[in-house]
Amino acid sequence: MRPEKKTLTDRRQRRGDELSEAAAIERAKQGDAEAFQVLYDMHKRRVYSLCLRMTANTAEAEDLAQEAFLQLYRKIATFRGESAFSTWLHRLSVNVVLMHLRKKGLPVVSLEETTQGGDDDSPKKDFGTEDVALAGSIDRLHLQKAVESLPPGYRSIFVLHDVEGYEHNEIAKIVGCSIGNSKSQLHKARMKLRDLLKLQRAEKAGKA
Amino acid sequence: MNCIELEESLVESEDGSSREQRAHLSACPACSGLVEELRSIIATAVELRGSAEPSPQVWNSIEMVLRQEGLIRPQPTPRPALSSFSARWGWARWLAPAAAAVLLSAGILLYRASVADKLAQQVSVAAPALDAGMDDNDFLQEIAAQSPQLRPVYEDNLRRANEYIRDAQSAVNEDPNDAEAARSLMDAYQQKAMLFNIAMDRSLP
Repeated sequence: MRPEKKTLTDRRQRRGDELSEAAAIERAKQGDAEAFQVLYDMHKRRVYSLCLRMTANTAEAEDLAQEAFLQLYRKIATFRGESAFSTWLHRLSVNVVLMHLRKKGLPVVSLEETTQGGDDDSPKKDFGTEDVALAGSIDRLHLQKAVESLPPGYRSIFVLHDVEGYEHNEIAKIVGCSIGNSKSQLHKARMKLRDLLKLQRAEKAGKA
Repeated sequence: MNCIELEESLVESEDGSSREQRAHLSACPACSGLVEELRSIIATAVELRGSAEPSPQVWNSIEMVLRQEGLIRPQPTPRPALSSFSARWGWARWLAPAAAAVLLSAGILLYRASVADKLAQQVSVAAPALDAGMDDNDFLQEIAAQSPQLRPVYEDNLRRANEYIRDAQSAVNEDPNDAEAARSLMDAYQQKAMLFNIAMDRSLP
């Protein structure tokens, strides 16, 4: 997994000073309620955002975030610190979400064979046509909306790779596909997002 | 390399930096634009990480389950006599605002069921009374006295709840017949009541 940006907020920094993550983990192992909440507060946005981006559903995302933290707290006594706590939690959260998607019968990776032609869901080539330029003008909210519109199979790979920073070999293990398939799905997801963003732009221009 | 081959090559080499890709991109504005747009999507995607905030109910539910399963255990914290008295009875000070908030929410709910167009009027009449009965500073000082580490969390949640109340109140003022605005105002007060309730639970011996 690629290293995440160190962008601690003032509040998190302040709380981090008061109780470090390592100290909170040790206290949580003893059943300390405050320590549980400190750990939750440190990681809630990352876990919830992952759940929300993967499901595109607020209620489901809250349920899954809750489930991920509960699983974490139930197992926290076994955490020995060999890996980063955040890595452990995020991997656990990914598993909770993927399990949920599988239970719902949604594909965590698109079922289409990437080597075959005639792909109905693939983005249309639009070389040489009049185009709405996107570069330099994509904001977070528009991208978020476009990600919600992605087919679930594409969405999972895009969120895991481009949002959460997992490498293709990790994604292949997590979702059970080949590395080549992960790369191919990611490319198609990005191309689909590009189309969706252009559609948004065109609709907005039409309303104006 | 033609345009189709360029696009296919982006699966393996997404940044368009290979020699063949660069050669094509330098002569093809369409493909050059495509690569630029994909780069922009990739750069913006990172901003989605950790960008959403779960509602306070998520922690509340987690805490309830942790208590039910016995994962949260009472911590032995010896206190001096005065502080012990305060800890034992200090929570009572929060009962009034918590009860007021709950009653207000219940009142709103009942009223909404009967006369929708008078709902906002009731909310706007009752809300200032609730606000006047609550002293957020006292509440936070009590939290700080008992659990200094939790004060920033409560402060943050209280600020959000008050902002939510202000926004919802403003929407109700704009359109007193807006049932959705009234529902939001009810939710906002319920969130604040929940904060007091959680604090009260923590204070009980």
